[in-house]
Order: sequence, then C-alpha cells, then structure tokens
Amino acid sequence: MIKEMLTGNAAAAWGVRLAEVDYVPAYPITPQTEIIEMLARWISNGDVDTKFVTLDSEHSMITAAGAASATGVRVFTATSSQGLLYGFEMLYTVAGWRVPLVMVNVSRALSSPITLEPDHNDILAARDAGFLQIHCETCQEVLDSVLIAYRLAEDERVLLPVLINMDGFHLSFTREPVEVPDREQVVRFLPPYRPKHAFFKASQPMAQGTAVIGGSGYSYFKYQMHFASMGALDVYREVSEEFGRLFGRSYNTTEGYMIDDAEYILIMTNSFSTLGKAAVKRAREKGVKAGLLRLRLLRPFPELGIKEAIRKAKAVAIVDQNISVGKGGILYSEISSVMYNEKERPLLLSFIGGLGGKTISSEEFEFIFDRMIEAVDTGVGKVPYLLYTEMEWKEMEKLKNVAGKGNKNYSNCRGETHNITEHGKE
Amino acid sequence: MLRLRFHGRGGQGAKIASRILGTAAFFEGYYAQDFPLYGAERRGAPISAFTRISKEPILERGIIAEPDSVFVLDETLLDDPHAHPLSGLKEHGIVFVNTARSAVELKDTYKISVQVITLDITKISLKMLGKPILSALAGGIAARIVNLGEDSLKKSIEKELSEIITEKEFLLKNKEASQYCFHAIKPIEIKIAKGIHKANPVITVPFETALISSPTIYTTGNTPLRKTGNWRVFKPVWNYDICTKCMVCVVRCPDACISVNEDGYPYTDYDNCKGCMICVEECPVKAIEGMREAHAW
Repeated sequence: MIKEMLTGNAAAAWGVRLAEVDYVPAYPITPQTEIIEMLARWISNGDVDTKFVTLDSEHSMITAAGAASATGVRVFTATSSQGLLYGFEMLYTVAGWRVPLVMVNVSRALSSPITLEPDHNDILAARDAGFLQIHCETCQEVLDSVLIAYRLAEDERVLLPVLINMDGFHLSFTREPVEVPDREQVVRFLPPYRPKHAFFKASQPMAQGTAVIGGSGYSYFKYQMHFASMGALDVYREVSEEFGRLFGRSYNTTEGYMIDDAEYILIMTNSFSTLGKAAVKRAREKGVKAGLLRLRLLRPFPELGIKEAIRKAKAVAIVDQNISVGKGGILYSEISSVMYNEKERPLLLSFIGGLGGKTISSEEFEFIFDRMIEAVDTGVGKVPYLLYTEMEWKEMEKLKNVAGKGNKNYSNCRGETHNITEHGKE
Repeated sequence: MLRLRFHGRGGQGAKIASRILGTAAFFEGYYAQDFPLYGAERRGAPISAFTRISKEPILERGIIAEPDSVFVLDETLLDDPHAHPLSGLKEHGIVFVNTARSAVELKDTYKISVQVITLDITKISLKMLGKPILSALAGGIAARIVNLGEDSLKKSIEKELSEIITEKEFLLKNKEASQYCFHAIKPIEIKIAKGIHKANPVITVPFETALISSPTIYTTGNTPLRKTGNWRVFKPVWNYDICTKCMVCVVRCPDACISVNEDGYPYTDYDNCKGCMICVEECPVKAIEGMREAHAW
C-alpha cells in the first residue's frame, strides 16, 4: 500500500490498473479525460497488460465496450459530459445486453451555453438507462469505487453495467492524498471475471442481444433489469462490507454526516458535499442541529436508507446541482416520491445550486438553513429556490453590459454606440 | 489552514508549482490539496492554481477566493483584468512577484498595501535551465514562504518532476534552481488572518426575456482591446541587413502579427505578438533574433 497525492482522474486510472481490466476502448479527443491518457501511457510502457483501442466517437466507444464485455472480458471505458450524451443511444442498448462493464463519467455542465465546470445534468440524463450509478465525493472514493463497481456489476444477481461519477475539476483535477492498495489485496476482493451468462467460446454458439417483437417480451426483459437493479442494493451492502473488512474503508449506499440527532438535513451528492459538510459544522457551532446526507448510489435509488436517515428531521433541503428545465431539481422530485406515503416525514425544500460549477458560498448555505427553519415555523416550504448571490448578479450585469445588453448606451472599441432597444428593433 | 494561490500564464509552470508545494506539505504530514484552473487551456493565457495545507482534514474544494499568500509568476498579470491576482488577499497576506523590479517599486506602482517579495526568477531560470520554465523555482519559493523544510522540497521536486522530465541532467538543474530560489528568500512567517469577507446575500433572480437572457453578444470587435503582446518573454527583432524578404516569417506567424513595410521588409505588431519565437526558428537566414524583454504595460 502506498499513499500519494492523486487527482480524481489518476485515482480512477489506478482503480482500473488494479482491477486488471482486459480491454479499454476510448474516444481519445475532447471531452475525454486524463484517465485514458494515464492508462494509455501505462499500457504503452508495459506496466499494464490491457488491450487499448481508440474509437471514432463515444457512440462507437460504448458499443465496443458493450460488445467486448459480451465476449466475457473485463472492460473499462470513460467519458465526460457531451461525450456521454453523444454515446447516449448505446447506454440503453448495452445495459439491455446485461454486460458488466464499468464506465467513469467526469461530470461537466452541458452546452448551451458551452462551459467547463461540473454539474450533474450529464450523468442524470443517463439515470434511466439501466446502468447502476455510484457518485463520488473524494479521490480515494473514486479509486475504491472502481473496484467495488466490478464486484457489483459482475455479480450473477446483478449483471448490469456501472457508471461511476466524479465532478470535473473539483475532483478530476484536484489532488488529495489517496491510498493505493496492493495488487495482492485487490485480488482477494476482486478475483478474475469468470462469466457464466455471456461469453465467446469456440463451439459454444449463442445469440446475444436478440430482438423481441411485441410488448410482453420487451416488458419482461425491462422488468427483469429493474429487479436486478433494485436487488443490487443488497448485493452492494455485501460487497461494501467485504471491502471495508479488507481495506478499512467502507462506503454505504448513503453517507450520513452529523446526522444522528439532526433536525435540519442537507441532501447532496458528489464533491460539493464536502462544502455541505463544512456548512453543517458551521451551523452546529451556531447551535443549529444540522446534518448532511450524501447519496452515493443513485441507481438503484437507496430508498430505505434515505427514509431512515431523514424521517425524524424537521426539515430537509435537497441541493440539486442540476436543473430539469420546466420542472426543477431532479433529486428533489425523486426524494419527494420516496417520502410522500410516509406517515412521519419532514418538510422538503428544494434548492438549485452549483450549476456549471458555480460555488455554493457560506452565505448560500446559511440561506438554506434559514429557509428550513422558517419553513418549520410556517409549515410550508417554497420550491425551488435558485441559489444566486448579489455579487454574482452584479458580475452578470457587467457582462450583459459588455455583450450589449445594458440599458444604457455603450460604445465598442471603435467608438460606435449601440443599445439593447436598437437591437430589439432590428 | 493555509490557502495559497498561484497566478501564471499557461506554460509557465504555475500548476506544477502548486503541486510541488502540495506534495512537499504532504511529505511533512499535513493534509494537502492542490487544484489548477486553466479554462480553455491556451498557452500564454492567465491561469491560476491553488494549494491548501492543513493540520485538519480539508473541507473545502475549488478556487481559493481569500488566500493567505499569492505567488505571481508574471508581473504583467497584476494589471490583467482577467487574472486580478491580488483579489481577496487577506490582511497580513504575502505577495510574491516574479519581476526585475524591487518590492518598493511594485508596491508603489500597483498600490499594494501588504508585504511584497520580489525576485526575477525568469532571469534565474534562463540562466540555470536555459528556458523560462518556472515550476521548480516558484515551488522552491512557495515552500520557503510557507515554512516547509528543504528536504521535503527536494523529495517533492524529485517526485513531481521525474514524471514529466525524462532528461536526468535537466531534472538536476531544476532541483538546483529550486534550492537556489528557496535560499534566496528569507524565512517569513505567514500570519493567518480572518478573511475580509464582504456581505454577499442570496438574491431572487428575476426573469428576463431571451433578448437579454440568451448567450448572444450584440457588441462587435472587442478583441483589439486585448493586447496579447504582454505575454512575451522574448521579442523578435529583425536585422534588415540580412533579411532576404522571403516572407517565410509572415506565413509562419500563427497570430498573423507580421506585416510587410513599404520597402518590402517584415515587421511585427508588438502589441499583439506573443513572443512564440516561431519566426526566429523558421527564418532561413537567421535574420530574426529573440531579445529578452522584462516589462509590464
């Protein structure tokens, strides 16, 4: 075991190296990540014995990953943001093949407007495809999740692909100390993949991914995927307990932070949960019984864990780092559906923040706690609140002026004057 | 927790400097975190990098808005509206600037009230490495300013640079340059002060029509306002006695900065020439020379 400073990207690559993956198909151009760069370097140096192939798009890449996985080898691939959406059609397709590949998505906000930093509309777009989803807060968790993901995906009771999510920049480029386990230790946890249901072997023909005509066949296969995904919650518990015994680090489907006696709970996912934890600490110092629940598994959705964690709270604020345009926060809707039929349930408030990697400031967290306390007093919570500060608005006003959208006349570098009304008339 | 921020231009080594500092702190048993931000990854454009060093687990991520110390690898960034390297700097904070000018002169020019330390590390790196690459040197300075030991610095340089520098001799030169810079700075103690936090309330975002709220820019032509000539370390200078007017430099300039004068000789637009030195490389008769430039405007 060594401990060193690794980025989230490097941690993912180390996970793949330790999992002794057989095949890595990759789209090599933007928005591909350093994960693939590192793997390619190790493969070319001979440090890793893996077949590496570059493909012409994420669509082809996911197809290749699914097809290879169907031959019975251990497969890894990675993408980010627009790339995930470019391969979108194949997510549903390969999940239906019931193949246990693992893919990392480095979350970044989607175009338009085009931008760089993270939010979760990319990964949540893939929510219904049949992939299990593990969302990570730290670089260590990224490495560990790759190992856990293979155990989970390859389990005969599951056999569904897994997407591991980490935030672009805030994890992917951020270095923090990470323990890299020994290969011998990893083998005890993750033995080589010996497929029983889908493989390629001479004189043992089979047809995989066949078509069905008629809804009854289709419904049967889809329901079975749903059962497998829901059942993965129990398998996950087994796998993560064993991981904890071997490596001394355990990850539940959800993580509670100062939550046992908490009256006001934040629900968050991914790397911004770190900021939420700091906010909970500050709130506790002020005497607010605050806590945080981080959702680690989003598919299957850890309903029981969520119910138990928040049932007794007075108010719960779901901080969605995503926006379903025309509805609001995606996780708010999901958690509401979990709690609606409960007799004992807290007030649920919805906050949208951190879109495009916008930071969530201490004031914004204070605002969230204030709204929760206020909602408990009045008995109603407003939905949703958009987190945006005065300073950010002023900055935006300045940019709008530069873009020619101010109310006053402005002049460009050639001294020509314009104003917004003129453009309106045009 | 110590919060440190590096400002440089893409390619100068600010990111690696922040890593050298992070790893050195990690070797001394601290919790450390480092993180670069370089937008659309354009060489020469302003970038920043961040290092957090703490005795407790770090419950922060992303940019550092209120640093205890900033390290400015390029003086021209002090005036850059996109970089604003001094923003949010705490009271008692320390500013390091890579410049040929004195601290007093700098404080006066840029109206800096906190402690300023200067050293011309570009000059040192040109002398010791033969290239204006500042990562190891800035790492050495940062390690000294935050009071890390020389051994941790050495180990860190070895760890961070051996992965990116394959040439043994060049790695050694980097180590020497780093140690030279480490010792060129007197030990200082950073006093960790509370941030000067301005109230920043949450507001209700109003609706605006797509005329305003779509990502469309109505104004035209603001690129000329951005003088990229500020990025140069070397400037190309033509010797018309040798020049054969072959026009190779005109064709090769990636920024179309080189034009032809009335007599048919090429000249460059120094307001926008970034000093890439491609013209110097390409000139078949070596009529163009790269001259060291130390300025800010």
